[in-house]
Amino acid sequence: MIKYDRFCLDNGLRVLVHEDKSTPLIAMNILYDVGSRDEDPGMTGLAHLFEHLMFGGSVNVPEYDMPLQMVGGENNAFTNNDITNYYLTVPSANIETGFWLESDRMLELDFSQKNLDIQKNVVIEEFNQRYLNQPYGDAILKLRPLAYKVHPYRWPTIGMEISHIENTDLEQIKKFFFSHYAPNNAILALTGNISYDLAFRLTQKWFGPIEKRKMQTRNLPVEPKQNEERVLTIEKDVPSTAIYKAWHIGPRDSIDFHTLDLVTDLLAGGESGRLYTKLVREKKLFSEINAYLTSDIDPGLIIVQGKLMKDIDIQHAEEAVNEVIKSLQIRNGLNDEMEKVKNKYESSTVFSNTNILNKAVNLSFYELLGNPELINHEVDAYRKVSQKMVIEATTRYFVPSNCSTLYYKSTRKDK
Amino acid sequence: MNSLQRIQPQVFPVEKVIIPEALSFRLNNGVPVYLIEAGTEDIMRLEFTFRAGQVKEYLPLLASTTNVMLSEGSRNYTSEDLNRLLDYYGAFLNLSCEKDRAGIVVFFLSKHIEKVLELSREILFRPVFPEAELNSLMKKRLRWFMVNREKVQNLAIDQFFQSVFGKRHPYGHKVVEQDFNRMTPAILSDFHSKYYTPDNMAVIISGKIHEETTGLLNNYFGDISSKRIYTEDSENVLMGEKRKKVHIKKPGAVQTAIRIGSPTINKRHPDYPGLKILDSVLGGYFGSRLMKNIREEKGYTYGIGSSLSSLDLTGYKVISTEVGQKNYIKAIDEIYKEIRLLQSVPVEKEEMAVVRNYMSGEMVRMFDGPFALAESFRSVWEFGLDNNYYYRLAEKIKTIDPDEIIELARTYYNIDELYEITAGAK
Repeated sequence: MIKYDRFCLDNGLRVLVHEDKSTPLIAMNILYDVGSRDEDPGMTGLAHLFEHLMFGGSVNVPEYDMPLQMVGGENNAFTNNDITNYYLTVPSANIETGFWLESDRMLELDFSQKNLDIQKNVVIEEFNQRYLNQPYGDAILKLRPLAYKVHPYRWPTIGMEISHIENTDLEQIKKFFFSHYAPNNAILALTGNISYDLAFRLTQKWFGPIEKRKMQTRNLPVEPKQNEERVLTIEKDVPSTAIYKAWHIGPRDSIDFHTLDLVTDLLAGGESGRLYTKLVREKKLFSEINAYLTSDIDPGLIIVQGKLMKDIDIQHAEEAVNEVIKSLQIRNGLNDEMEKVKNKYESSTVFSNTNILNKAVNLSFYELLGNPELINHEVDAYRKVSQKMVIEATTRYFVPSNCSTLYYKSTRKDK
Repeated sequence: MNSLQRIQPQVFPVEKVIIPEALSFRLNNGVPVYLIEAGTEDIMRLEFTFRAGQVKEYLPLLASTTNVMLSEGSRNYTSEDLNRLLDYYGAFLNLSCEKDRAGIVVFFLSKHIEKVLELSREILFRPVFPEAELNSLMKKRLRWFMVNREKVQNLAIDQFFQSVFGKRHPYGHKVVEQDFNRMTPAILSDFHSKYYTPDNMAVIISGKIHEETTGLLNNYFGDISSKRIYTEDSENVLMGEKRKKVHIKKPGAVQTAIRIGSPTINKRHPDYPGLKILDSVLGGYFGSRLMKNIREEKGYTYGIGSSLSSLDLTGYKVISTEVGQKNYIKAIDEIYKEIRLLQSVPVEKEEMAVVRNYMSGEMVRMFDGPFALAESFRSVWEFGLDNNYYYRLAEKIKTIDPDEIIELARTYYNIDELYEITAGAK
């Protein structure tokens, strides 16, 4: 049970505080309610590029990292489809430095052309390193636009193409900041060796004076229901053929979310998951196989992906995947397996919550979903999933007309 | 409107870390056990570690394959049973095989300790290395190997170890496709019986330790005896290759991977703490010189860093980065430029202060919580050292002066002795 307090400043900043005296550190997390889904289709990758710019200095602080390192702190950030999230940990005596740094870059960034030019290069190298210079690195770049036709989830966080990043200018950056970065669009979480009183006083002092801003209203196109099977085949010089299958699911807060999460664990949770046991261990069709939810806030995807063993026919492998998924519709033996994945989920939650940084990130995210108390209820929600729910969800979502398949074929003779 | 003076808050010195000492005792058969009580949750981290790493192997892949095959079937359980049971009890099993040591680490809720001990005993002391599982594992691992060989960073680091330690030493030998055909149940079994023995083992437990923990450990592990097989350590001598610059061609690669470094002292050497600090200045944290220059000022790369690692027989330092095709030569020049600067110009007071404080903060993080504590304990214990190493490091962080940094850079970063490995198109 994680105890926390919550308050909201007049400027709209929402704050969560969880005190844990067993650590000498404090974690500070700031979540901004902006992600790549909020980008213009002609200028994708901006939210993530912006995350990089946030370290280039702010209106009263010429450099972000150095003063934090000076007080023994460490920080990083990530951007995804839905959010941009910044975090730091620092020895507790120096937490005020964290407030000074984070509030100043919320107040106003130091928009410099030089910093923009350099960070564009860094992001382009990141694009190269993660997506172009890795075998199969571009699979997700191909799969998204196959599954989504109108919703912004059709492009990845890094951006649809490098030219979008190259063409960004300082005016667009400024506009992006003032329409997405503001106390009324952010959530602050403090966990670790900090009392509520201190957290409250420092938040008032540093974030209180920042004024509310008018945010860009979110009005995203709704992805129409998919009604036909979609298939894309690409051929590349990779060591073996791979297959990616994606089915549309509901939003993060839909009642099926936990059921489907449990389904992915039944399929691929560790070495005893069904896909692994049947297709890697027994039938030796795949060298690796995985299943996961994208866990997006808007309607997301359940993805199954695997790499084939040598000389295996791709249709045969795909049929075998479908068969394993179908086996979830039969009650036989399901109960024990469900108990197993539920135990594993519970224990991974306990482990995750031993870390103050995880707690800060989770509290912020659940607040964004509308209820920080979810941090204490996720295990229950997962426990409550029944056999009937698994069978119903499997039957409802895993249908061919809801599926997009990417065949990533190897052109090598010896594959 | 904004009445607040946005001036920098006072900087408080990072308090000296007090490291809880591990409690040690021996099982009935003499196996050393280290207990580290820490944390608020009822969870445990249990590590069994053996001197059974790559250094002991006479064939490439032998140590890692033996390690991975431990959970592929035992006297009383099939591989499926073992994995299913571990999952059922919510336990996380990590098989680990490094250059010197190998073993397992299990994370679990303390209430399941008996089951975890029973399964660990099966995995560690009763594996059967079934042939069918081995064959399918080797085929699978060969596929992974083929994928990994597509990545320039892997090509570069494999060549780096070969260049630095020599292809005849297990620290340096490169794995090739044919190696995947050489593993048999018999040689795995032989390797296992030589190196996975009680007299070659230690147990490290951290988390919420209960009163019955020691008794339970004795029940499951205290009566296993060593077979006293005489083993002879390989006489292989560590000998780096003569060629200092090697380029590996990877047609079509968008980026070139760079690895620059050399063998160096390990943790047992008195200069090591100082070298650790020098390494931080050069490339050991986000504000380091390499990051500042090559990423933050020039934008050549998404990331660059240097690291210093200890092995039982030696140590090594390596600078690592991936750089776009058109800039990689420039990046290499900048790397040498930064090393030369450290050898000739004293680090300014302010930069020293940043490094000192950053590293002091790192030390707080290294001892925060049961898992971090266990890892930090293990990484000095395996060199026959104790927490005094960390206290010496902490002291060095406070007191090192810029002249000493220059001296260390001249002694340990002799540019003529550095290996320069690149992998990319061209």
